[in-house]
Amino acid sequence: MSVIILAVVVLLPIVGGALIPVLPFRKRTQMMVYTEGIVLLNSVLALSVLLTRPEDAFVLFRFTSNLTLSFKLDGLGTVFVGLISILWPLATLYAFEYMKHEEHEKFFFMFYTMTFGITMGIALAEDIVTMYCFYEMLTLVTVPLVLHTLTREAVLAGRNYLYYSLGGAAFAFIGVIFILIYGTSPDFTAGGVLDLDKIGSRTNLLLLIYVFCFFGFSVKAAMFPFSGWLPQAGVAPTPVTALLHAVAVVKAGAFATMRITYYSFGTEFLRGTWAQTVVLIPVIFTIVYGCSRALKETHLKRRLAWSTVSNLSYILFGVALMTPLGLTGALTHMVCHAVIKICSFFCAGAIICQSGREYIFQLDGLGRKMPKVFAVFTVSGLALMGVPGLPGFISKWNLVKAALDSAHPLAIVGVAALMISALLTAIYMLTISVRAFVPSNADRYAVTQTAEKGVKRSKKKAERKIVPYDEVRDPGWMMILPLCIFVIAMVCLGLHPQPLLAFFGSIAAEIH
Amino acid sequence: MGVCILIPVLLPVIAGALLLLPLQRDKIGEEADQRQSGLSLLHRIVGSVMAVSAAVSLIVAWTGADSFTWFELMEGLPVYFHIDDVGRLFITVISIVWVLVCFYSFTYMEHEGKERRFFAFYLIVYGILAALCFSGNLVTLYLFYELMTLASMPMVLHSGTHEAVMAALKYLFYSLCGAYMGLFGIFFLYKYCDSLTFTAGGTLNLALADGHTGILLAAVFLMIIGFGAKAGMFPLHAWLPAAHPVAPSPASAVLSGIIAKVGVLAVIRVVYYIVGSEFIRGTWVQTAWMVLALLTVFMGSMLAVREPVFKKRLAYSTVSQVSYILFGLAVLSQTAMEGALLHVVSHAFAKCTLFLTAGIFLYRAGFARVEQLDGIGKKMPKTLWCYTLAALTLVGIPPTSGFISKWYLAQGSLEAELGGFSWVGPAILLLSALLTAAYLLTIMTNGFFPKKKEPVAVSARESGKENADCAGAAGKQAAELTEAPVGMLVPLAILAAIAVLLGVFPNPLIRFVSEIAASVL
Repeated sequence: MSVIILAVVVLLPIVGGALIPVLPFRKRTQMMVYTEGIVLLNSVLALSVLLTRPEDAFVLFRFTSNLTLSFKLDGLGTVFVGLISILWPLATLYAFEYMKHEEHEKFFFMFYTMTFGITMGIALAEDIVTMYCFYEMLTLVTVPLVLHTLTREAVLAGRNYLYYSLGGAAFAFIGVIFILIYGTSPDFTAGGVLDLDKIGSRTNLLLLIYVFCFFGFSVKAAMFPFSGWLPQAGVAPTPVTALLHAVAVVKAGAFATMRITYYSFGTEFLRGTWAQTVVLIPVIFTIVYGCSRALKETHLKRRLAWSTVSNLSYILFGVALMTPLGLTGALTHMVCHAVIKICSFFCAGAIICQSGREYIFQLDGLGRKMPKVFAVFTVSGLALMGVPGLPGFISKWNLVKAALDSAHPLAIVGVAALMISALLTAIYMLTISVRAFVPSNADRYAVTQTAEKGVKRSKKKAERKIVPYDEVRDPGWMMILPLCIFVIAMVCLGLHPQPLLAFFGSIAAEIH
Repeated sequence: MGVCILIPVLLPVIAGALLLLPLQRDKIGEEADQRQSGLSLLHRIVGSVMAVSAAVSLIVAWTGADSFTWFELMEGLPVYFHIDDVGRLFITVISIVWVLVCFYSFTYMEHEGKERRFFAFYLIVYGILAALCFSGNLVTLYLFYELMTLASMPMVLHSGTHEAVMAALKYLFYSLCGAYMGLFGIFFLYKYCDSLTFTAGGTLNLALADGHTGILLAAVFLMIIGFGAKAGMFPLHAWLPAAHPVAPSPASAVLSGIIAKVGVLAVIRVVYYIVGSEFIRGTWVQTAWMVLALLTVFMGSMLAVREPVFKKRLAYSTVSQVSYILFGLAVLSQTAMEGALLHVVSHAFAKCTLFLTAGIFLYRAGFARVEQLDGIGKKMPKTLWCYTLAALTLVGIPPTSGFISKWYLAQGSLEAELGGFSWVGPAILLLSALLTAAYLLTIMTNGFFPKKKEPVAVSARESGKENADCAGAAGKQAAELTEAPVGMLVPLAILAAIAVLLGVFPNPLIRFVSEIAASVL
């Protein structure tokens, strides 16, 4: 019985979402109730699966005798399923408030809900083929979300996103094929499935394929030099950037690299080889690169996107350490960063929605008008830079512990990169908060004027009008509620992470 | 009983946090103050919270309770408090200064405005400082160290001018940069030490560290530089002359007098309680540390001499004086460490007095620049006398406490076998003392014996460009200048008296610090 639910949680949002434009809703509220209902139901089902923990796999479809589309729940999948099924209903709630003023709402929510199912598919995939299928679908179904506003920028960003992702998937596909040929089975197995007898003297070839595969999947995780698409995709509506470009899509990329590293190729085969060095170098570079770009960026959402680039590489760094501790660190950061970044994106969305301002220099003094939002933003900034007591510190500590424990000479460079990145993070996050609460330009009218001038310069179309400074307010409860929940979640996660860490430890313990 | 340690930490933090929330705005805070004269409700609340927390922290520190584990940040990373002699020394100094400056600010902050916010952060920082002194392991120390940076930053940007905000950001980022260098080191120490709990003599596991000495030394060096950022040590000193002058005077007093010392506390904890002095004795780390400290001593004094803005001059003086302490620690000998600890105490009281005097000049006259102070002694003799006592302490003239501390510093350095440094160190300390006399005592002599007949009344508008502080007390004519109000004068006099009296009756303190030094070396 519970095995079927594995397929249900994947298919329900896909089917339910696809029906949204077809169903005859008379009022917006009905559509809201329907969408939230589907998402909530699916989350409850998913969480119940996590509790019952079915052992067996559910085969949805058989291509050939050993190529199947099948789902199975294991430790790593549990983390990802848990993460997205908690975040999705909150993000949907937030999206209702945010999308009020946007057009084509139905199509937006159709794709938004379908993405839920497909991400679920990636998390629950039993073998590499299933994961690959859903991975491709994820690209296709999220492109319309990036295109949503249909401005020239959006179309460009959508096209770039498509090219990058499909290109990456093509490289990853090479890896999939090799696993099918040289592995004992396509299923994900802790410790890897490679058959050393079959490989024989072709070790270097396999390592090269691993590098291809890692780079291919890390396109979605926005590793340098494939990070360009992510900040560009920031033109999408904020619920998309917040949930998909900070959690679901990009974490799917990181998740896939975990799968191939720890569950397909196997760390024993990879650790200490040149392949590890080759993947570590761009990862460490991206940690610093993303932060520096974030520092340079004056557009609020793009700054957060660059910050995501850097933080995703924290996860990839943990993955590339190729030790159980590394996996623990990577998983910790996956969860911590998800909560933190979705929270800061929601704040950014609330700011854009309420004030119409998108550039950081326009935000001077807004903290006095939107104290709640900016207070939450500050907390998320502190969490991101790793103040002890908030989750960023926990994950950083675990990552560094793993790095120092691994004997790889690049690990110490990585630790240094993490520290530099923490400092840069502090700079790019806290300057926003400080300027918002204490405008360095004391004259409020001057502030408003520069804000308006700035917009003309940015050649933004007149979709969002700049709200005069005096009329800016904190948003309604549908936006504030998720923010409050995230803050509480961050504090709980930061002060009491042991149960979660113990669970990650048990997942990593399966790998040798 | 260990739970009591939490009271002085949480009470001010909670009280401060409540003040930050928009509760009862019409009864407590700016709006209420305009209607009310005398001690307003805000002052009564802040004063009583401050007094109670200071009293409790002193009681907790000097009686029974000694260690307490609050909760675990992560497995193996407890937030753990333990009170030892170093903690006692620091918390005592901090509490005395904090309470006195608090009472001083009641009067002073009238002309700054936004009192409620100022006092909220003032209380929060006290709670965090108490936690820092009571920290029993390195992670707890780091936790509160970072919180202190964040909580003290709003005190710097208080006036909200462009200059103040930029200085606050500079302060924040220099401190965080230092903190992350410290964290980098903590990661390594976590790996190579038996535990991160402070233990006199260090916990470094030499067997484990064998073969990794190079990287460990580098990590320790980074930690010294990193935590030294708060103490204004070269190369991360540049925030100090920017941040201290723009803050309201009571804030600059505690920033210079106390918060800079927290950097010293962190360095003491790392070097003497985790790594152990033996590990770095005679290595390049010790040499580099001494060079940096001496360089800072000299550079700070030189910059102070040519600085015309009074508070900035004092800030440079802090740069120089705190590095005396760091030099004393770097020598790694018992006498020098005694000198360093004595100088912590002496400098804390003296420098606070000096900044509070600077505050009085700003409050009464709007004078921010040194040349404006000509003849001020005629109008405000008591203030200038307090200034003189503190200045003499800082220069190190017997019988003030500054003399004792510098004596021990020089003696410790000469005794230690450091090659050239044994005499170069004291020579630079002496040179710097001369420079200190030059930049502090000229103000005194010009104040009492003006070059011109009448004090020059430069309008404050002109000096306003130099210093944001004086905006409130715009140009009063020299003729109207009167002595500072009693509410400001009393804390000032007490601080100056302590600074001097500790030199006249130094024995209990010397005994106390020599016990500390003997336990770790």
